[in-house]
Amino acid sequence: MAQCVQSVQEFVQDSFVPMVAVLCSEEAERVTRKNKLGFAELLRPFCRLTSEGHIRDPNNQMQVVKNLRICVNNVVTSPTPASAASSPALRRLLNDVVLSCQPQEGAATNVITAGDYDLSFSATTPWFEAYRENFLQSMPASDHEFLNHYLACLLVVSSTEAVPVEQFLKLSQEQHRVQHSGEYTNPKWFIPNTLKYYVLLHDMSEGDEQRADSVYEDMKQRYGHQGCYLLKLNSRTSSAEEDEQIPDPWSQYLHRNTLQNQVGRPCVSLLHLLPCLLADGASTSLDSHPLQLDPASSSGSLHALTAANAELKKGSREPEGPAGGHGACLTLNDHDHIRQFIQEFTFRGLLPHVEKNIRQLNDQLVSRKGLSRSLFTATKKWFGGGKVPEKSISEPKSTCGLLYPPEAPELQIRKMADLCFLVQHYELAYSCYHTAKKDFLSDQAMLYAAGALEMAAVSAFLQPGAPRPYPAHYMDTAIQTYRDVCKNMVLAERCALLSAEILKSQGKYSEAATLLIKMTSEDSDLRSALLLEQAAHCFINMRNPMVRKFAFHMILAGHRFSKAGQRRHALRCYCQAMQVYKERGWSLAEDHINFTIGRQSFTLSQPENAVTAFRHILTNDSRQTATQQGAFLREYLYVYKVTASTLCHLPELPLPCIHSSATRVYFGHERRLAEGEKQAATHVSLDQEYDQDTAAMWGHLEEQLVAAANRGTVPANFQPTQCCLNSQTDNLRHPLAVAEEPIIVEVTFRNPLKVPLALSNLSLLWRFSADGASPSQDRTTDWSAAEVITNEETVSVGARLRLLPHATGQLHIVGVVRALTHSVDVLLSPGQQMLDLMVVRGRQDLKIRGPRLNQTKEDKMLIRHGLDLRLDPIITPPMPLMEVFFLQFPTALLCGEIRKAYVEFCNVSGVALCGLRVASTHPDFFTFGSQTTTPVTPLSPTSAENCSAYKTLATAREPGSVASEMLVSAEDFSQPSGVMDIPMDGSTLQPGQSTQLPLWLRGPDQEGVHEINFLFYYESTEKGIRISHRVLRHTVFICASRSLSVQASACRSSVPPHHSVEDRGGAGTLVFVDVENINTSEAGVREFHIIQVSSSSQHWRLHRCINPAKDKDCKLTSRERAKLCFRATRCKPHQEKYTFADLNLGNERIISSSTPCGDFFFRGCRPSESQRADEAPSRTSCSRQSQCVPAEDRAADISSIVRKCNELDLNIIVIWKVRIQSSVSRSVRETEAQEMVLLKFKSELPPPAVPPSAELSQLIKTNLHYPETYTHPFVQDSLCVVPVSLTLSNCSSAQVDVLIDLRHRSTSGESLEVHSSFTWVGQTQYKLQLQPQQVLGLTLRACFLQPGVYNLNTPRVFAKPAEQDAMCETSQQTASPALIIISSSSA
Amino acid sequence: MAVCIAVIAKENYPLYIRSVPTQNELKFHYTVHTSLDVVEEKISAVGKSLGDQRELYLGLLYPTEDYKVYGYVTNSKVKFVIVVDSSNTSLRDNEIRSMFRKLHNSFTDVMCNPFHNPGDTIQSKAFDGIVSGMMVQTASYT
Repeated sequence: MAQCVQSVQEFVQDSFVPMVAVLCSEEAERVTRKNKLGFAELLRPFCRLTSEGHIRDPNNQMQVVKNLRICVNNVVTSPTPASAASSPALRRLLNDVVLSCQPQEGAATNVITAGDYDLSFSATTPWFEAYRENFLQSMPASDHEFLNHYLACLLVVSSTEAVPVEQFLKLSQEQHRVQHSGEYTNPKWFIPNTLKYYVLLHDMSEGDEQRADSVYEDMKQRYGHQGCYLLKLNSRTSSAEEDEQIPDPWSQYLHRNTLQNQVGRPCVSLLHLLPCLLADGASTSLDSHPLQLDPASSSGSLHALTAANAELKKGSREPEGPAGGHGACLTLNDHDHIRQFIQEFTFRGLLPHVEKNIRQLNDQLVSRKGLSRSLFTATKKWFGGGKVPEKSISEPKSTCGLLYPPEAPELQIRKMADLCFLVQHYELAYSCYHTAKKDFLSDQAMLYAAGALEMAAVSAFLQPGAPRPYPAHYMDTAIQTYRDVCKNMVLAERCALLSAEILKSQGKYSEAATLLIKMTSEDSDLRSALLLEQAAHCFINMRNPMVRKFAFHMILAGHRFSKAGQRRHALRCYCQAMQVYKERGWSLAEDHINFTIGRQSFTLSQPENAVTAFRHILTNDSRQTATQQGAFLREYLYVYKVTASTLCHLPELPLPCIHSSATRVYFGHERRLAEGEKQAATHVSLDQEYDQDTAAMWGHLEEQLVAAANRGTVPANFQPTQCCLNSQTDNLRHPLAVAEEPIIVEVTFRNPLKVPLALSNLSLLWRFSADGASPSQDRTTDWSAAEVITNEETVSVGARLRLLPHATGQLHIVGVVRALTHSVDVLLSPGQQMLDLMVVRGRQDLKIRGPRLNQTKEDKMLIRHGLDLRLDPIITPPMPLMEVFFLQFPTALLCGEIRKAYVEFCNVSGVALCGLRVASTHPDFFTFGSQTTTPVTPLSPTSAENCSAYKTLATAREPGSVASEMLVSAEDFSQPSGVMDIPMDGSTLQPGQSTQLPLWLRGPDQEGVHEINFLFYYESTEKGIRISHRVLRHTVFICASRSLSVQASACRSSVPPHHSVEDRGGAGTLVFVDVENINTSEAGVREFHIIQVSSSSQHWRLHRCINPAKDKDCKLTSRERAKLCFRATRCKPHQEKYTFADLNLGNERIISSSTPCGDFFFRGCRPSESQRADEAPSRTSCSRQSQCVPAEDRAADISSIVRKCNELDLNIIVIWKVRIQSSVSRSVRETEAQEMVLLKFKSELPPPAVPPSAELSQLIKTNLHYPETYTHPFVQDSLCVVPVSLTLSNCSSAQVDVLIDLRHRSTSGESLEVHSSFTWVGQTQYKLQLQPQQVLGLTLRACFLQPGVYNLNTPRVFAKPAEQDAMCETSQQTASPALIIISSSSA
Repeated sequence: MAVCIAVIAKENYPLYIRSVPTQNELKFHYTVHTSLDVVEEKISAVGKSLGDQRELYLGLLYPTEDYKVYGYVTNSKVKFVIVVDSSNTSLRDNEIRSMFRKLHNSFTDVMCNPFHNPGDTIQSKAFDGIVSGMMVQTASYT
């Protein structure tokens, strides 16, 4: 229970005060009317006595009466006030009292900290006190108690009457008639002989004062000194200027008066009618469980309420009561007169009267005590609860037991108790009430008993010094009786109010709360609301504050308030309860409260608060059902619309949520993907997901390009171009946008609700400051993304908005403006849905926070976010813009297949561009051809359609023809690694111009899907602009399928060099090429024709085809393999030039050194060469690399020389052709595809026996020439000498010292046995020096002793490179045995 | 048996609330929330008198017109609240006790889940099942 202004004692005392009636003559009434007051009203401010009075109790002891208040009322004889307490009029009165009493704005609030709750609420509840006061005052007089029965009557007559005394007589008779005639039940009188007090009212301004005095004298004689009074008033003329400020003590009573007057008034003003209507309307719409959200209650109720509210506002201004000017004719002296009069009346008239009556009653009771009491009880016993005869007949039975006639003896004691109570003799009062209670209870007169119990408890509480504890159970019984037995809620309520206040004063908050809660019922919403609120205050005031109970009862109170039409109070209650529920996870309850707050705020025309409350429900992750959310949303949109219409700027619309950090910004036009047959470069689009690796890859490519454009150095301020910005890109710098090129912003919306939302008319909100100008106001784009985004469930949806800058400057994209619709009926027919849709327009800011910083210690300890400037682009002057299209670009290739395609570059901007370059992740995938060799090919793709991709020469094929050779310098094809300049006429592309270039593609060597990225680079022809260059990305996916597998091997030919004249150096080598068709399951591919094999090398060349099979046309069907045999010879070394040798197997020779072949050859070998730039130009195979000595000193390095000698450095190019039938389109489209295989291979010679000399053993190639059979007549000559020539060929390119030893090795016993039969004769040891590639013949002689078969291969040849010490001479490998047959001729 | 079962965190926010679907969910939320006052009162009262060994089961917190609200507080101050229809007179105190014990065991299992973040709302299916079991029994009883 809230704190009260009055103390409890005061409050209880003031609840029961002596009542004084007033009867006024018309003339007297006229006099007081001058002050715009009735006589009773005139007295009211002075009714509290400041001085002490005294009274003697029956025992003649003096009792002090302090701070007494009397209540003066006109006699009203209206017939129906009996049930006034429950009458609608009274209800209205109380309603208005509460309504008019609202907490002040800046009223002191109480802050309570309970647990982890901090609550602030108003500690006082003046509306409750006002209600209570009015309620108690309007208590109807009841038969079972006398407290508010009239004790006395003031008869007021004006001195201006013709005969005042007669008037007094008349009024006296009138009073008598009212009290005793039995006509009127209403003004109830305490005692049969009511005290009549005669008052002569004298108007100083008009009447004759002397006459008044004389009349007064007359009165004194007639009514006694203590029974009359002369009251002089109106000392001041009303017309007189109001110089002095006279306080207006009536004003505080006035409001209540006017309200009270209306109780009896038949016609009800508009003002009071409306709230009732409103209340009724509200209660019907809210007539449900207080804790029920009413999802179905349509927003129609809100509409109705607003309408009613508007009316109410109009109405409230109309009635203007007679404000101000009360007591205008009264001076301060007059005030004193009135005060004196009251005092005189009370002390001289009223108190003695009361004292006399108490005495009388006491006497009666005492006299009766001995006799009647015992008699009563005796009779009761005898008659068994039957009634005593004296009151048996006239007793009407009522629900609450019997009713006593007014003069029944049982009531006398109650009467005495009441009198004692009124004059503050609580001790006596208590004992009387106690006695009365017993009597009533024994009589089963429940109503009376309850009354007595109530007052007994009150007087026990009020007794000074508290001799006995407050009997709370009396009160409980009384309340229960009133409510349940007597069905009298008014009395029960009074009782509860008193009891609660008393309990509160004793700190028994919990009991008080229970009491108050029990008193809530369905019959009066206002009462229930107020009591619940007080109960809530009780909970919070407990020693251990019960915060949640407080909140819960506040909600219940709020609900009842709203049912009672007290919207402001309801709102306040809900707001206070909200403090407890807010942000504590009780979302369902929180939503309910927010919803109610929203509604109430709205009807109270606080739409901002309403919007805030509704927003809370909708934006927080709601756990409500979809229908509930739909209802919330509908209300929110309605409220929002109303709010928005009153504001000049667009308000914030939080739904659906914008996922700010997911915003993506794209600079540039949206790409056309294809234009006819042309296929545009993919570039970047918003549809692609951002990928860190890909971005890094593009960045790397761009860096290469920039480096190439800047002669190998990357500028320090280089930053990779970012076309599409998102949360992962580097957004620390202002992005650069180009004028006349659109900026596309993708905003991601997330619908937190379970109901669909439809957005339409989206547009961007931006601010622009042109260069040098001040920033402009927020503007929206006139362009607006048109249609509806239905946002089902919690799905995120992105919307793309476009902005086209025309001027240069700094742009800030601030937010998004859009129209939101709650589209339940999207699926209905369009016409129908338009009616239901409520469209609101609002803005929402895009606030992008950068990533969280985590570098420094401060960053780690705090939460700091970096900059994110992705929405603040700088607009730069127009830049060139290039588009790239591809024609006849394949998607699938065989491994190694060569295809020709065309690429078109198109300048679509107004600025010329130059410096076109391209970089790729797969530089060996494509070539533009080299300038020196390309011009032959036709530039237009259409004319070249049926042309082969190769440059060919028709040659008549003759078997065994020697390869045709061509020398090509590598520089012709050389390109800086990865980056290619695009050969373009004039090197600039003028605005609008486009150019087409051929492009050769070669299928990747690995089968599978390959992602190939191109990055095109170009610059503006103008220099010194902010954007130095622009890039265009293209990504293709090529599906490579298996074609041919080619393997090559080589071995040293054992044919002596002189067999072929051209061969020098004897380094003839056989090359075997194994070709296998490994193409799998492709129905379209039938057979591969190998049409040409070419070689490319700096030192070697293919010489001729020595295929043993004469079948020249080499066809390979599925899974077939073929072996091709070639002889390779060493060619003249040309510095840095490559020898291409073509051996065609068909009728056409393809010049392998020209564009596609040559390009791909160099492109293919380039990367590996560039990796080891310092090595010898001849390439070593990896298997030998470990033996490679670092080659600074190449000439002197033995191993290098030796290696060279052993190396076969030859690239073999196999050109094949296949007919592909496209199986897709059934029509047998015979695509002629010519392909090439690059073969880089290194001959692997058999390893020698002795590992350390492995290399050196092959420096020299030896051949023995001798006759195969030699016939010698051994009979004639036993010694046979056969000449044998030994040919030594130096395979290396260095001088070699050779030592030939013909002597038999003595160590080998085995060979001794074999060779013992023949011996070398002549010089048996030679020491020679062979020049590089020199061939030297030596003639030896072998001497045989008998015929037989001999192995001549016994000479041991040691070789060592010149300039080496002799120690490393190594035995050269001996070839296969050279057998000679020596036969004996008989002749 | 029960019409509403709730688990409230130490900081008094709901970890889990489940009520009979046919009835107004909001009402139970309010009821459970309000019952926390009584729970706190009971805890503080007991804490003073008895010291360490405290009975976890708090008994009947308060009866409303339609429901009886029972409370249980774990040693870590997590509260369990079971709301029972007051018309259901067949329920004994012992049965309520065993319901709480079952609930507590299941709750402990949830907490033992290494993937459960303490303080988060309970999403466990096993727990859901236990609770459903307690609620389903209602139907068979009445």
